[in-house]
Amino acid sequence: MLEIKNLHVKLADEDRVIINGLNLSVKAGEVHAIMGPNGSGKSTLSYVMSGREGYEVTEGSVTYKGEDLLAMEPNVRASKGVFLAFQYPIEIPGVATMQFLKVALNSQKKARGEKELSTPDFMRLVKERAARLNISPDMLKRPVNVGFSGGEKKRAEILQMAVLEPALCVLDETDSGLDIDAMRVVADGVNGLRSPDRAMIVITHYQRLLDYIVPDQVHVLSQGRIVKSGDKSLALELEANGYAEFESEAA
Amino acid sequence: MNVIVPKTAAELNYGLSLPHRKMEDWRWTDLRQLIDRPYPPHQTVVAAPKDVEQLLKSSPFVKVAGARMVFVNGHYSAEHSQLKNDELAAQVKSDESVIHMNAAFATDGARLKISGTADTPIELLFIATNADARTIATRNVIEIEKGASATLIETHLGEGSYLSNSVTEIIVGEGARLDRIKVELEAADAIHLSHAHFTLLKNTVLNDFTLTSGAKTNRQNGTVDFKGPGTDAKVSGAFMLGGKQHADTRLMIDHQVPRCTSRELFKCVMDDHARGIFQGKVVVQRDAQKTDGKQSSHALLLSETAEFDAKPELEIFADDVICGHGATAGDLNHDHLFYLMSRGISASDAKSLLIAAFVGEAFDVIVHEGIKEALVKFSNKWLAEHRRAK
Repeated sequence: MLEIKNLHVKLADEDRVIINGLNLSVKAGEVHAIMGPNGSGKSTLSYVMSGREGYEVTEGSVTYKGEDLLAMEPNVRASKGVFLAFQYPIEIPGVATMQFLKVALNSQKKARGEKELSTPDFMRLVKERAARLNISPDMLKRPVNVGFSGGEKKRAEILQMAVLEPALCVLDETDSGLDIDAMRVVADGVNGLRSPDRAMIVITHYQRLLDYIVPDQVHVLSQGRIVKSGDKSLALELEANGYAEFESEAA
Repeated sequence: MNVIVPKTAAELNYGLSLPHRKMEDWRWTDLRQLIDRPYPPHQTVVAAPKDVEQLLKSSPFVKVAGARMVFVNGHYSAEHSQLKNDELAAQVKSDESVIHMNAAFATDGARLKISGTADTPIELLFIATNADARTIATRNVIEIEKGASATLIETHLGEGSYLSNSVTEIIVGEGARLDRIKVELEAADAIHLSHAHFTLLKNTVLNDFTLTSGAKTNRQNGTVDFKGPGTDAKVSGAFMLGGKQHADTRLMIDHQVPRCTSRELFKCVMDDHARGIFQGKVVVQRDAQKTDGKQSSHALLLSETAEFDAKPELEIFADDVICGHGATAGDLNHDHLFYLMSRGISASDAKSLLIAAFVGEAFDVIVHEGIKEALVKFSNKWLAEHRRAK
């Protein structure tokens, strides 16, 4: 599904290189965890995949379902099934959550040549998905992420994911700022979306989320490249020994 | 040494002087230059019925308004009105330029005394049909009687080239409430000058909203006189401007008595070469203790060539007050745009959503849901038409 080859990324208006020869291959149905210390390039990787401005790819390629992902506008990537759950979801005053979700879903459907959802069908879908994530109707009435607590914002991201049903989900530090109960709700939401047609990349600093979302593969990211890959036991190793080993190795 | 400035053609035709940029209040809107030819007053224009019908239908409030009072080319139209004029004399005398011009040229106007609670909105509709360039002036006097409550819409529409001068005096009686919604959708080649003068007595509530989207040149003055304590006034507005439109709003909020609150919020969208100006002055007189006044203007500039000027002023003579003002100008937030696009929304749709959200905040002052919906619909239509070419 996703093939990243020798990816090099620098900041657009600075010379600093963030991703430095990264390779990653993700197949449908798999869950990959990317772990690494602060500043290793985790968030940059997620932004480059979703098409945020401010980054420049100097070398390498990202191929998604056989197509050049980097050549697409962010909305085209989304309609083709790429979804980023933001580490810091953005507040948009004045845009109602329901309206936002509906425009997003129907924009994607339109782009894929599918039939758009009617308002009653859409309402039914959102209510059903929201209930599973303990999201109250009151939250849905508010503007996008405005006045949401940290945990509510993360749940709202997973709700968007559940409504939009992407093929490739990238979760950027979805566990940050969550207490254990909130994390369980989020993890249940994510696990509910696991399917043979869907791949997930879970980016995290800590191992604890991976107790709930059990990955098929774990990769250690350090200084912009993957320095070690393994199965879920690698995450436990990292939890015990920290990242010091990889930081010195890379340096 | 006095420099004699020769009179312009319009000034000679009017027989009076027009304000110009060397006058502080008119520094951004030089009427001597902007009124670039005579717009003769007191013209009699016979309107074709189908032109009138067409314009009546184009009000955004066709489905919302209960009773209407319609003015065609500056004259009351009994045929199209459900309300009759009351006997009310104009009170406001001022040498302010717009009022001065109005006093000389007004031909008619709405005179309404409202008592009790009016359930459905009343619409005052001012239309100008396509004819030779001319000045159309109306003077409206509205009195909301003690304890009464009303929602009043004032709509300005037209075709062709004309100058519309509209002065509205409003007295809100003790314990009364007025929601007023003014919509300026004059013809693209029109000039709109107006002055709304509010006198607010004890314990009154005023919710005022003005949408400015028509005319090539627009200058709207507002004066709010707080005459009785315990009064609450909200004065909001939105600009939706494109092309070479020029809109200048000047407010004077005058706190003369204690324990009143005032809130002004203006949300201004300017595209192309449009220019918006917001001048808001809040005065707190010596006796107006416990005044709570806040004013803000926010501009969204959609092109490099659009412009916004804000001149907020506070003049406080009382010592126990809370007052503040703020003004911002900028373009669309890139993080907001990216977030919307990352969910599959096209750049163009994402921009429209964000612009509508920006303007929509100013609609919040409007209590009547049907009116608010009509305005949301208008703003979406404006965005769709305006942004189609982009």
